[in-house]
Amino acid sequence: MGEINMINSEIVNELGKVVGEKYVSDQPEITFLYHYDFITAEPEGICDIVIMPNSAEEVQEIVKIANNHKIPIIPWVSGINFGSTATPIKGGIVVDLRRLNRIIEVNEDDMYALVEGGTTWADLQGYLQKYHSDLRAGVTYSPPGTGVVASCLCYGMFDLGMLGGTGAEFINGLEVVLGSGELVKVGSCCLSDYWYGRQPLPDLAGLFIGWEGSTGIVTKAAIKLWPELPYRKYYFVLGKTIDVGVPVMLKLSKVGLGICDLVIINYGWLQSFMGANEKKVPKDPIEKKLPDFAGSITTQAYTQKQHEAQCEAIEAIFKEGGLFEPQGVGSEDLLGTLPIHFWSCWNFSRGGGGQWIGSYCSTRDIAKFYAIAREKALKYGHTPQFYSRILFGGHYCVARTNINFNKDDPKEIESARQVLKEIHEEVQSIDGVVMYKAPPWAHEVYEEKTLPATTELIRKIKKLLDPNMIMNPGHGWGS
Amino acid sequence: MGGVVSMAKKVRYIRGTGIEKLDMKQEDHTLDRHKGIEHYKDILYQCGKCGTCRTVYQDINWARVCPSGEFGQFEAYYLGGKNLLTWGLTKNKLKWTDNLARIFYECSLCLACTQQCQIPELHTYAGEWLMAMREEAVRAGFGPMPEQKQYTKYVEELHNPYGEKHESRQDWFPSDAFQSPNAKLAYFVGCTSSYREKEIAISTVRILNTLGIEFKILENESCCGSPVYMTGQVDYARKIAEDNVEMFKNSGVEKIITSCAGCYRALKDIYPKKFGIKHGVEILHLPEFILSNLKNGTIKFKQNVNMKITYHDPCHIGRHMGIYKEPRAVLEEIPGIELVEMNRNKHNAWCCGSGGGVRSAFKDLSEFAARERIEEAKDTDASAIVSSCPFCLNQFKTNIKNDEIKAYDISQLIEKAIK
Repeated sequence: MGEINMINSEIVNELGKVVGEKYVSDQPEITFLYHYDFITAEPEGICDIVIMPNSAEEVQEIVKIANNHKIPIIPWVSGINFGSTATPIKGGIVVDLRRLNRIIEVNEDDMYALVEGGTTWADLQGYLQKYHSDLRAGVTYSPPGTGVVASCLCYGMFDLGMLGGTGAEFINGLEVVLGSGELVKVGSCCLSDYWYGRQPLPDLAGLFIGWEGSTGIVTKAAIKLWPELPYRKYYFVLGKTIDVGVPVMLKLSKVGLGICDLVIINYGWLQSFMGANEKKVPKDPIEKKLPDFAGSITTQAYTQKQHEAQCEAIEAIFKEGGLFEPQGVGSEDLLGTLPIHFWSCWNFSRGGGGQWIGSYCSTRDIAKFYAIAREKALKYGHTPQFYSRILFGGHYCVARTNINFNKDDPKEIESARQVLKEIHEEVQSIDGVVMYKAPPWAHEVYEEKTLPATTELIRKIKKLLDPNMIMNPGHGWGS
Repeated sequence: MGGVVSMAKKVRYIRGTGIEKLDMKQEDHTLDRHKGIEHYKDILYQCGKCGTCRTVYQDINWARVCPSGEFGQFEAYYLGGKNLLTWGLTKNKLKWTDNLARIFYECSLCLACTQQCQIPELHTYAGEWLMAMREEAVRAGFGPMPEQKQYTKYVEELHNPYGEKHESRQDWFPSDAFQSPNAKLAYFVGCTSSYREKEIAISTVRILNTLGIEFKILENESCCGSPVYMTGQVDYARKIAEDNVEMFKNSGVEKIITSCAGCYRALKDIYPKKFGIKHGVEILHLPEFILSNLKNGTIKFKQNVNMKITYHDPCHIGRHMGIYKEPRAVLEEIPGIELVEMNRNKHNAWCCGSGGGVRSAFKDLSEFAARERIEEAKDTDASAIVSSCPFCLNQFKTNIKNDEIKAYDISQLIEKAIK
């Protein structure tokens, strides 16, 4: 039982009348799977009740019941992210949105998909493959079973990041059940049947983006799609170190050339992508004189002539910068089938546990971030894992480091917590590094650093949208 | 980058799908199969319930793949959930309850989920602990389900799970057909073909007679034990296996053909590998037998069977035994047959929902799964769905409404073609 002691069979019955008794449960064998994410080193929570609504109206009723009883409510799609943001740390009702997985509309003129809040990347990909093969959604580096809307709301990013920025910038509009139980729409959809964008209205989507489900439950969202152009090429390039590779990638980010994705990874992350067991690969490639920089460059074009010209220029830039295409890495096999939902790394190199310090920062600090992460990981005997994606035409980037651990071993979990906090503390010395999908302890750090008036504004907004403070308590800004 | 290169060689990339398919060579732990939960406890927790097990990724038109999960909906009903429930049990965070047992039994053990999971050890061994959990449930007194206990009682008393009289097991045998008492080849009919889908047995016998192949049906043929084994009742299933193997030895057979997917897997795989009973009898599924005879020219299809069909892979033959090509190769040899594939096929096939004890104990789930498959078959514009398992056929025939599509066993088409 969580902190709220009013949860009992009567509430389950009350909820059952909303969704049908099949779709609500407080049985321990069912709630066990929702009590934490089963991947991170964050503390486990308590799931008292799990419920699966099938409409926005049902979500409203659930939120009203939770308000009546002052019970925490946690929106949930797949429950997996590296910040443990869907763990019910104060108990309560987990609202599993998986039944809300319908693709309501694909608008080919304005290129967006209107989807329900529980739609997964697999659902969306499958639908587009079947009915709109000339359009494509972004492809994430998360497993296909993760949520489209949750990913966009939490600043996830895709293989189209150079074109459109983060997932948040892919959002055209939202339908949301507020923490108070009211239903609102934001974006063009609030006054039209078209969900083409958020402009020129006051951009209320910001009340729900980056809040980690602490202001409302998104029941519908319009997500931008992109044309599937006929010419596309993936380059996989290697370099000696991250320091060598990053300037080249930054140069590429500012030259156009049809580049839609630029990814930087180090040796450790690459091994993880490839499904290697962390214990069986070199911990420190630099020590073994192996290349520690790998870059992925994706370019696309409408005509062959355009494509050839773009490729020629891209190749000249990376060669001039000292990067090279490896021989025999199966480029035909691997690159010919990109983009890939890289779930291989989700075994966390066989220990089943992983967590990140995943941050947005200035592109000038990519190498600095890596240097800190590398030093700390090696200090604690972990393989350094690093990933960066340059976004929105080179305007900003994401920089992340992963720490893998054996989740069956409490000592390893404790050690992982230690190293993660040390890395986080150290990267705070870099100006403007802010975690996304951040765990509660990171939010505490940011709230101390933020201007007091800004923090107060965040709290006022939170209170306005969620008067009883029941929405995903303990997570997100202002909690 | 040596490590990357060597790993790349172990992964097969499926062109144009954006997805790699694991070739099951990346096992860091090479473990024995058919063991108890304890044997797998050091790999269970690799699962992060990422949800990859829920969807077919290796082909275009990604689609949901798990009948249990799509019906039960809660995380617990998908493979990820079951992995972590098993882990929770081994870590004493959970204990056996009726509800926990029910979750593990409300699954046809079709293993479509394991085909999707790309964590090497889970991909390879998750099916083992799904089965081991049932065995554990039986030991703990929480399994099998009441309906499964009932059919097991029938097997004990009448040697079939349908409650039919043992002495009428061969009543279907056509009066104009013949068998050879001294044949070294036996046709193992199985319970479903003996009592429910007799057309399969009749067609198989007619095929063998037409081809002039000497065979016999074992006088005291009994249940192969598959329905008992699949519900975790391994001790009794082992006893059935021992009795059957004794019967094989006494009858002097050297080769057995069966038209039943469940019997095939039991005789060929479960008896020797789970129970360690080496019977030395060659076991062939009917399409395998037909294909080998097509190849050596013993069989020729003469009749035109004008029909557009789609083939449903039975789980026991497909994912459990890896046989996908043979039935298709046979069907494609039949004149006039146009074979079209459903969206989910071969290792990604959607289960018909009859196996693993589901049809007896969880009728709603069973019907849900069957209807999904029937609709998928109809989407191909085929006039018939063809399988090579009497249980699948029975399931389709029960759930097809208003003659919306026909359902046949492969033996019935073969019989038509060789007449």
